[in-house]
Amino acid sequence: MSEKQFLDLEAFQWLGLLIIILTGILLADALAGHYRSGFENRSQYTPFLSGGFLVIATVLTFILPSVVWTSTILEVAGWTAVVTGLIGFGFHHFYGVAKKPGGYNWLLHYLMYGAPPLAPIALSVIGVLGLITARGLQMEPQIFGFQLRTSLLVLTAVSLFGAILQAGILHYRGAFNNPLMYLPLTVPLAAVLAATLVVMVPGPIPLVVPAVLLWLTMLIGFVGWGMHLRGFDRQMGGLYIAVFNWLEGPPAFAPLNFSGYAAVGLVVVYLL
Amino acid sequence: MGGTVMTVGRAVKLFKLGAPLHPILVHFTIALFSASLFFDAAGFLLVITSLSVTGWWTLAAACVLTIFTVITGVISRMNLPIAEGEARSFLRSHMALGLIFFGILLILTIWRAAIWRAGGDVSWPYLMAAIGVAVVMSIQGYLGGELVYRYGAEVEGDFTRLNGNKSIETTAPALYGKMSPPPTDESGGVG
Repeated sequence: MSEKQFLDLEAFQWLGLLIIILTGILLADALAGHYRSGFENRSQYTPFLSGGFLVIATVLTFILPSVVWTSTILEVAGWTAVVTGLIGFGFHHFYGVAKKPGGYNWLLHYLMYGAPPLAPIALSVIGVLGLITARGLQMEPQIFGFQLRTSLLVLTAVSLFGAILQAGILHYRGAFNNPLMYLPLTVPLAAVLAATLVVMVPGPIPLVVPAVLLWLTMLIGFVGWGMHLRGFDRQMGGLYIAVFNWLEGPPAFAPLNFSGYAAVGLVVVYLL
Repeated sequence: MGGTVMTVGRAVKLFKLGAPLHPILVHFTIALFSASLFFDAAGFLLVITSLSVTGWWTLAAACVLTIFTVITGVISRMNLPIAEGEARSFLRSHMALGLIFFGILLILTIWRAAIWRAGGDVSWPYLMAAIGVAVVMSIQGYLGGELVYRYGAEVEGDFTRLNGNKSIETTAPALYGKMSPPPTDESGGVG
């Protein structure tokens, strides 16, 4: 494990905490989406089993960080999440686009109104984060032949970019009716570029640049969270008829993905 | 609705566990954060370490308490029938700003924690940022205060007249639309 600590926790323990938080955010929005469609396909329960397993494995690892078998369980849970996310991506694509009337001829329509195409990939991303965390807790310096620090920065850039794409398509559906809906396309995109540059051309860019951009991205996540809550209340009845508007309004916790992914990047910048 | 409470037994009977907790908790957030800013500024300007340490712990407590402030705020909203109009515009802004405030408070707390762990003192940039957060908190407090005291949000019996002054007509707040009056209980209060 790295020697640097923040509030007595080391980098991979912080990453463990972030896995738990990010999985919770993901599952809360998945619950809304799958409940809305009535769980008509039994496979729609899978992310909750896989995500639940990942959370339990991470909690175990957090409590017993120096015990080898907890890291092994976390690796298994990480791989399970990766596979579940990829299968979910296929399902969202097949049932959300290909099998719909009009299919690919109505691609843009179904990308906007069908199952969110990139949402399941978020589970894969968290799964990879679990794999990296397990390696880090086992004191192994590499994963898939890459340094853990490099892998985490790449993961931060990829996950933020996916979140930007998903937010972009859904905010486009919402006709960018509020200027703040452009925010995910601004600073987070710059953070992606900065993280990518730090990985590809280490040296010229001082780490303070990605650090500032990641802090701002984290803040933007909370701005989005507040604005999504406001979005609920623009619906008829607002939160007074909470369940209905939770299902029909903007995804309640999705903006916090930006904060969570940015936090992963910040752990790398400051603690690794 | 009775007269003056004269006995402890009667006072106990009037105790309600269902009272909204949000108006209680917001004051913890406001007081703890304001105290933190005061102690940090005083510790920085007077170079007194114990004041700076107090500034950190009060900020940490503010951040933790604010989680419950946010949760109870959402619960309050879920229990509040409110028609579209002026009051609901205040409410929407209050809801959005609440989570944004929590975000900047969290980031400020992480910053302050790093200073505390490094054993250093706060700096001018930190104090300026904290003052900025205090401004956001004040706006948020104003919006919340208006919701309660101008529009009567979550105030039980907000149409209730003073005892013995039946002639006093209160101006109905804009909490409910004219076309959809809220149900009234026996005392004429709003349900």
